[in-house]
Amino acid sequence: MALVEEAERKRRRLGRLLAGVFILALVMGPGPGIYLVNPSPDAAAPWTVWGIPVLYVWAVSWFFVMAATVVLAYRKVWLAGDSD
Amino acid sequence: MMMTLAAIDLGYTPHVVLALYLVVLVGIGFWGYLRGRQTEEDYYLAGRGQGVLVTVLTIMATMFSSAAMLGIPGMVYKDGAAFLLFALNLPLAGMAVYLLGSRISRMGRNRGYVTPADMVADYYDGSHAVRLLAALTGFLYVIPYIVMQIKAGGYLAQGLFPTAAPVSILGVEMDMFSLGVNALSLITMIYVLVGGMRSVAWSDVLQGVLLLGGMILAGIATVAAMGGVSGYFKAVSTLPPEAQSLPGASGSWPAWKLMTVCIFGAVGSMVQPAQWMRYYSARSSATLRRCALIFALVLPACFLFGVMIVALGGRVLYPPTLVDGQVIPHEMIGSKPSEVDQVVITMIQEQIPLLLGTGLGVIVVSILLVAIMAASMSTADSNLHALSAVLTRDVYDRYVRPAASERERTWVGRGVIVVATILALWLVHASERSTGDFNPLSLIAEMMLLAIAYACQLLPATLDMLFFRRGTRAGVIAGMLSGLLVVTCFTPLPALFLGGGSGIEGAAKNVKSLLDIGCCGFLVNVTVFALVSRWTRPVDPEAKARFAKDLNSN
Repeated sequence: MALVEEAERKRRRLGRLLAGVFILALVMGPGPGIYLVNPSPDAAAPWTVWGIPVLYVWAVSWFFVMAATVVLAYRKVWLAGDSD
Repeated sequence: MMMTLAAIDLGYTPHVVLALYLVVLVGIGFWGYLRGRQTEEDYYLAGRGQGVLVTVLTIMATMFSSAAMLGIPGMVYKDGAAFLLFALNLPLAGMAVYLLGSRISRMGRNRGYVTPADMVADYYDGSHAVRLLAALTGFLYVIPYIVMQIKAGGYLAQGLFPTAAPVSILGVEMDMFSLGVNALSLITMIYVLVGGMRSVAWSDVLQGVLLLGGMILAGIATVAAMGGVSGYFKAVSTLPPEAQSLPGASGSWPAWKLMTVCIFGAVGSMVQPAQWMRYYSARSSATLRRCALIFALVLPACFLFGVMIVALGGRVLYPPTLVDGQVIPHEMIGSKPSEVDQVVITMIQEQIPLLLGTGLGVIVVSILLVAIMAASMSTADSNLHALSAVLTRDVYDRYVRPAASERERTWVGRGVIVVATILALWLVHASERSTGDFNPLSLIAEMMLLAIAYACQLLPATLDMLFFRRGTRAGVIAGMLSGLLVVTCFTPLPALFLGGGSGIEGAAKNVKSLLDIGCCGFLVNVTVFALVSRWTRPVDPEAKARFAKDLNSN
């Protein structure tokens, strides 16, 4: 019984952590976090990373963070939470 | 050296590909009819037994509208890389399939719900006002969505048959736009009428596969046509700075607006009536859990590595110009600001034959253009079907003829589909004939955001039922009315009734430049909902406890 409760507590803690990471990805990816990398419209040369425009790299990076969060949630939180 | 449309003869290939596709769709419609039972529940939910493949593809195809293949790439073409970030709404939409969809599915199975209003009204003490408001919210979402899908059919017919002369049918002369609009409406209407949810879902499987493949194929073809990965990004890096930064070339996308559009675009799309009915028709909550995972991983990848790549490449190859603050597309794409929507069509027609030659190239072009048509049809069919359920089940069955037989209800549902199709067709033709400044149907992406903003007004009630259970009947009515009213302030209606330059119009324009309109409606809705709920009679505690018990039982 205690082991089950402990597992449930861990699952909930992981669920909250993943929710936090996902919200962070939403704020950073398409949200105000962009201003950390947003090129100035007056810049002489565009910002690129390995020759790729920085906003594209930014979008793909945060997509991978979100995707990893969903995969972890599916395997560790959702599967354990639903019994059907 | 760029090859022009006139130089590429598509021959009869588009006719053959399109004819095959449409024949298969009508065949699926009749197959659904033969497999189905003549009951209302079977017509609307296909017996609540759909598995993972059908459910995930029908959810994707329903979300994947002409906006996905035309409107959103059009925004990337117009504003540049800033709008690429919109693709990040899709993992959140996948999350919503699990968090909302699996719970809605469970309640639907346990209590026999068919429409969103069935569940919302049942929870809030069987309120008629709540039912009608939920139905109205669905109606306000569905009509603009159907209109924009039908309109896309016109663009595609122009793309598939660019040099075709107008044809005369029953004495009425139609150009390719009108022919496309009418044909898409008619075929979609036929297979929805005949087979109901079973036909809609299985046609969505075909359309979903076409779409996912089409998006990725178009992305690969664009990169290859522009000199491979390094050539593509080298070319994209030469875009002007305003196309590589926020708030975008037209200045429309500050970060807060982009983020709120992503959040409310994702969640609003997932509580629209057609998606809600897909949750009810899934076999189990586990089905939706798997669907959520597949959705969150596959769809954003198709956008970021597929259709967004095409649109950004289009901005390099066919640069638009800025005239009086408006982005005017390159002459190869169109002549009016609203024709930025056609960038993907132009890219496919112009670049793929260059890459693959006029043999294989023409076949691929035809398949890709049919894939775009599939995007429109898959959303139009789901929304027509959902509208039929909403008006029949929530209005006709309850208030017009409660004693109607199952058979009569199903036929009334079919009648709704015919009337809605005619109404949408009329709106599209009226919009195309409009020559003045007032044309609310001009941009596909803007119509999408407005429709989703209406759908978002069902969100506070949904979250309350599924998670918090603290709202009251009076609270939800006041909240939804306020939210719908706020969203309406962002439409052209205030200008129409109060005259241009009214205070409401100016305030709405200012707020709209900072935040998503669905978010504005949602914030007002939640505030009013919470305040009114604080001082009004709560939902019957016993009914609430029974609801919570059903929500947690499988």
